[in-house]
Amino acid sequence: MTSFPFPRRSPVRISFGIGLAILTVFGLVPAVGVLVVSFTDLRGLPYLPVNWVGIDNYVTFFSPSKWPDSLNALQNTIIFALASTVVQIVAALGIALLLNRPLRGRNFYRAVVFMPTVLGVTVTGLVWSLMFNVSGGPAKSVFALFGAHSAFFGDPHLALSLVILVQIWMVVGVSVIIFLAGLQAVPEELYEAAAIDGATAWKRFRWVTVPMLAPSITANVLLGIVNALQSYQLTFVLTGPNNHSTQVLSLLVYVQGFGGASGTTLSQSQGYASAVSMVQFVLVAVVSLIALVILRRREAKL
Amino acid sequence: MSATTTAHPAVAEKASMKTKRRLKRMPVGGYVCAAIVLVVFLFPLLYLVNTALKSNDAFVADPVGIVHNPQWGNFITAWNKGDFGSYILNSVLYTAAGSAIGTLITLVLAFPVSRGYIKGSKLWSVLFVLVLFLPNALITQFQLLLRLHLYDNRLGYILMVSVGLGIGPLLFSGFVKSIPRELDEAAAMDGVGYWRYLFTFIFPLARPALATIFILQAVWIWNEIVLATVLLADPSKFPVTVGLYAFKGTYSNQWPLLAAATFIVAAPLIVGYVFIQRYLVNGVLGSVKG
Repeated sequence: MTSFPFPRRSPVRISFGIGLAILTVFGLVPAVGVLVVSFTDLRGLPYLPVNWVGIDNYVTFFSPSKWPDSLNALQNTIIFALASTVVQIVAALGIALLLNRPLRGRNFYRAVVFMPTVLGVTVTGLVWSLMFNVSGGPAKSVFALFGAHSAFFGDPHLALSLVILVQIWMVVGVSVIIFLAGLQAVPEELYEAAAIDGATAWKRFRWVTVPMLAPSITANVLLGIVNALQSYQLTFVLTGPNNHSTQVLSLLVYVQGFGGASGTTLSQSQGYASAVSMVQFVLVAVVSLIALVILRRREAKL
Repeated sequence: MSATTTAHPAVAEKASMKTKRRLKRMPVGGYVCAAIVLVVFLFPLLYLVNTALKSNDAFVADPVGIVHNPQWGNFITAWNKGDFGSYILNSVLYTAAGSAIGTLITLVLAFPVSRGYIKGSKLWSVLFVLVLFLPNALITQFQLLLRLHLYDNRLGYILMVSVGLGIGPLLFSGFVKSIPRELDEAAAMDGVGYWRYLFTFIFPLARPALATIFILQAVWIWNEIVLATVLLADPSKFPVTVGLYAFKGTYSNQWPLLAAATFIVAAPLIVGYVFIQRYLVNGVLGSVKG
């Protein structure tokens, strides 16, 4: 405990206490509650009796009757997280390098790239539903040029990739800004020294830019993974919560807990939905930790 | 920031001076790439406007063609059929109130923890990391509000989104370290109490950091749709995300009308964004640097 300069400690404790109380009641209690509820058979309707069922919900998640759905959601979640993180970072780095060059109007380009973040999921979702409209739209016309056709979001093989593309379009601006901040912190002497040593553009990129950007890359990877594993707002708008081919774990939680389209008693179990939440939580924690360890090790090496 | 941006042209010039050929070619390639980026980000919006101005028949006949006979009435029809004015007001209320409460919570929590003015500071800073990884609590958030009689209640939804602090506390405790501790001591010596110090000294000093924290949370709340779907039942309380989504459900086969509605929602955002974009982007930039 360091020295405390103010006359009385009580104001610190009061304001800290109020902030912590709100955070606890509305943030931490529901979060811990998920773990508790996942061991019960709580249902969506209030005032029904609630029973402890132990690990039944988890057993159900991995049981033969549920496993196809569970596996599908797990796979979709992991594909979504990996693909959107990797592609987003590569795209963001490319755009950031471009916008870091002395081009006219680059502040305008930067603003345009960041704009979808402000437009929001519903606007983004509707704009891209229109672009990929099955009965006619730009995407259909482009496909027709190559003599191909597709149901786009209705095509089970394509839907997830398209959702990932739209997700990247929507959030890449934030990564671009993070990279731009990193690029501006690279001391120009390093580039000068490298240029004097006769390093090619690629070598300067590989051995000056990338190592100096390591902290930005770590920040972007973690942000990307956590966002991708937890974000379902866009998928919700683009394909609805019940589309098998794009159903990620968070949407499974929504469908199981709040019915979605099917209204059977089993599909309303909020206890089961909470168990799915916990599976997702463990997945997010494990993947983020592994990514963090790998990235930190790389940062140390560079 | 301006110092670093003006420094960069020099870097690029020095690099490209090696060969005259490259000096001439590089900007062209850059502008071509920039044009591609612009098309990728602006074309979908232009296509939206194009569709919004078509009649339903014209859209069915030729979806991608440029509009010949603009139907400005689509906007009026969409405005009358969906209650977008009140949806937008709801969203503004939720976003402003939620982010304000959230930023305030961040301020009163992160400052004493960063300074070590509260017992167990180490433990509390672990909590700041932990809030990033909390499980998806949709079910319990719903149950909690139901039990507190705050279900389908504006205040309930605002409180629920206000605690989505994200990286706010982490950012702010980092920022506080750049404010010299001597300032605390000098102010205390002059008889300034803790609250007065927090709100009349730290608050203005930390305004850029707090603005960033506010904006990051505001963007999240503005985009939120699933929690609002679950926690609100009365359409008059819907934020614009849910309102527009419901509108899509009703008029799913009338694309020009739907596009007009989407544009009604997007237009104020784009206009507002033009005014605050410098602030917004610099805010995110500052948060990463700080």
